[in-house]
Amino acid sequence: MTHETYLLDRSKLADSHTLEVARADGAYGALQKVFESSMSPESVVGEVKKSGLRGRGGAGFPTGLKWSFMPNHETDSRTRYMAVNADESEPGTCKDRILMREDPHCLIEGCLIAAFAMRLDAVYIYVRGEYRLPYDRMQAALDEARAAGIIGDNILGSGYSCEIHMHKGAGAYICGEETGLMESLEGKRGHPRPKPPFPAGFGLWGQPTTVNNVESIFNVPFILARGADWFRTMGTETSPGNFLCGISGHVERPGVYEVPLGISARTILEDLAGGIWKGRSLKAWFPGGSSTGVLPADMLDTPMDHDSVKAAGSMFGTGAMIILDETASVVRSALILARFYEHESCGQCSQCREGTEWQEQIINRMLSGQGKSGDVELLVDLSKGMFPGKTICALSDAAAIPVLAAIKHFRGEFEACISSPEEILA
Amino acid sequence: MTKIIVNGREVEADPQKPLIAACHEHGEHVPHYCYHPGLSVVGSCRICQVEVKQGEMPARVVAACRTPVAEGMVVNTESQGAHDSRRECLEFLLKNHPLDCPICDKAGECTLQDYSFQEAQAEGRTSEPRRKLEKRKDLGDVILLDQERCILCSRCVRFMDEVPKSPQLCISGRGSHSVVETWQDAPLTGNYQGNLADVCPVGALTLKDFRFQARVWNLTRVPSTCSECSRGCSISVEVLRDGEVKRMRPRPNEDVNGYWMCDHGRFSEGELNRSDRMGPAAMRNDAGQLKAADPHDALRVVRNLLSIQSNALFLASPYLTLEEGEAFSQLAKSCSTQAAFFSPEPNELGDDVLHTGDPCPNRRGLQEAGLKPMDSEEWAAASAAADCVLLVGERLLDMLGDEALDALPTAQRLVVMECRTSNHPAIDIAMGVPNRVERSGTWINVDGTPGAIRAARSAPQGVRTIVDLLESLTSASGQPEEALSS
Repeated sequence: MTHETYLLDRSKLADSHTLEVARADGAYGALQKVFESSMSPESVVGEVKKSGLRGRGGAGFPTGLKWSFMPNHETDSRTRYMAVNADESEPGTCKDRILMREDPHCLIEGCLIAAFAMRLDAVYIYVRGEYRLPYDRMQAALDEARAAGIIGDNILGSGYSCEIHMHKGAGAYICGEETGLMESLEGKRGHPRPKPPFPAGFGLWGQPTTVNNVESIFNVPFILARGADWFRTMGTETSPGNFLCGISGHVERPGVYEVPLGISARTILEDLAGGIWKGRSLKAWFPGGSSTGVLPADMLDTPMDHDSVKAAGSMFGTGAMIILDETASVVRSALILARFYEHESCGQCSQCREGTEWQEQIINRMLSGQGKSGDVELLVDLSKGMFPGKTICALSDAAAIPVLAAIKHFRGEFEACISSPEEILA
Repeated sequence: MTKIIVNGREVEADPQKPLIAACHEHGEHVPHYCYHPGLSVVGSCRICQVEVKQGEMPARVVAACRTPVAEGMVVNTESQGAHDSRRECLEFLLKNHPLDCPICDKAGECTLQDYSFQEAQAEGRTSEPRRKLEKRKDLGDVILLDQERCILCSRCVRFMDEVPKSPQLCISGRGSHSVVETWQDAPLTGNYQGNLADVCPVGALTLKDFRFQARVWNLTRVPSTCSECSRGCSISVEVLRDGEVKRMRPRPNEDVNGYWMCDHGRFSEGELNRSDRMGPAAMRNDAGQLKAADPHDALRVVRNLLSIQSNALFLASPYLTLEEGEAFSQLAKSCSTQAAFFSPEPNELGDDVLHTGDPCPNRRGLQEAGLKPMDSEEWAAASAAADCVLLVGERLLDMLGDEALDALPTAQRLVVMECRTSNHPAIDIAMGVPNRVERSGTWINVDGTPGAIRAARSAPQGVRTIVDLLESLTSASGQPEEALSS
């Protein structure tokens, strides 16, 4: 299959992470264009709004709209920040690390355009601690760009100034939640903050802040360089553009593929990832990371865009597909995820702290042949008590949803654990 | 003020405060753990769920402590959805709670217990082993921590951070591995640790002093005022059936102490429970021994003494109430002299939280009543010159000290109205008086705010009130003895 690409084009060049190669390939052209065409910050926000770009971090919130939530600079003179969420921790998700590792200058360019559009004073890029090479590449790119007058005072002679700082996370999933990320950036424990107040009004150090995913920001230079109308030629009406699909699990060619939104999951799996490995057949798949509910094989023709996956009863999430073949146990995969969320819950909210532990205990018991009648109903009931909106952040939802989805589509497997424990143990 | 509708009633709410405060203010109780009106709001326990409808949006269940009030908001604290959410939340909170209520000091005043009865299903559904954590973690001289009972509401952590501004507690670990701890198990320090047991909604933080001392439903709570400094914190004096003061706790009073009191005041009950109480009256007999006497006889002798004295010293304890101070002042006036109250040196406990460092709870009240403060030096000079000394009120003998009495001239007559017994040879007549939990009256604090003290139990048998004793002396002073004996 062929389709127009842009996100990963530069990464195919040798030494694409260096300023020299990136600039020769057109990096910072969009920024230059913004400055030279004397676009106003508002018109940059307008262009991003018009492009219909939706956040790639999981929630799919329109990026331009989010930017427009920043308070009016004339009536609010506080320092303004953006935090770029590069704490890519959602199991299955591995797209941002490619972007930062192979094309850091495009992210910097996106940050500077966003900074100009929102009249920011500084940008923080919060990179998960395990991403050592992407961090080093980003830092090297920042240093190169600074030396070239692209970051700091009077960027490219435009009179506009902005700083970009890097920050290394310490390996907590919860620091990828936008308010947990801000707490962590401030040097505190990554405990999500209750909302309201929202980050645009009370963010980093209490100042107006926008938090965006790496891939969202990465799209911005292309939108500004080629126009919102061009952007809308790809993807769907409500989810325009391309996205990076990180596909993993039981496939022949796991990896990160650039595809237009709305492409069917089957096309990604079969044409790009080479189908299920070892000639086996598909049992179940997660459309966008571990927090999105698992779907059965017969729903593989679902188009991969925000609205279609939602209509199928799951979530587009980060677009990271996880594939389970016919030999996989859905109950065991539910246990692995339950363990993950139990380990990563920050512990503030009662429902999440106790609920994630309880889920893990019940599923673990079922898989040890100790399941009891009523366990499946209890699991459903307690998971329903964990969401929606009952906790400070969505980690509780993220833990409850996969368990409920797994039971919804594969209830028989859970019940078999109770009725025939000997098969599970064998 | 913002107008909102709570359970069908239109009420006015302060837009600066969260919705839960408005509900509580108007008598609609919303269960809560992490929320405390005297601390910052974190919104983490998630029990305070109520149903809110705003404008055209469909009704939704929200955490009342994190929801700002908005004009026209319609709140239902009793909707099915709200009850369901609270019941679910309680089931999670109870999942690892040890349910050792029969041996828990908090039982009877534990909101986990109360709300469980109120909201939760009767039977637990968990069969998983409960978390095994430290049941008796020593946090210093005042507090013992039971980590298994803790529901991680973080009130204690915020209290230490925000009130005494002495961050010593933290929640360490993550998720279901979270526990409350001090850094490297260091003991807690400071004069405000006792409040931790009050803010703890469950039996996780208990007072060592109160551990296994009483079931709280057997305590009678009487609103009163703390005696230990001139702040005059509003407190509740809690006495057991036999009259023993078991506990003193702060009572919310925004004008004086907020929700708190210091440990110095909280743990001052020992002296109230002492058994060596002075009887109604005692007089020194011919053999030089202080022996129990008929109070009427004793009063008559005091009257005589006062009528023949030429230079009497009237010194009150700083614990006298405004009313007692006025009676004392009257008596002094009728004997043509000026009453004084003993004014001890400020102590080193003063801080910028509550404690003023001035041990006189009623300095302003006594000055208003016409008593002049008298320090040790002034006392030494005045008592040496007096031919008769009248000491009135609790703890005055302790404050003056035995040496001060030793130094009194031998020819001088000494009359003491005290709570505790004393065999000091200088005392000629002694009469028992009620202590501060056995009488009622008013203290006026350092800012001029009156604080009522109220009798939480009766005084020892036969012991009359100070006002009663002083008034009977005043009405008779200067009159011939014959008129009195009838």
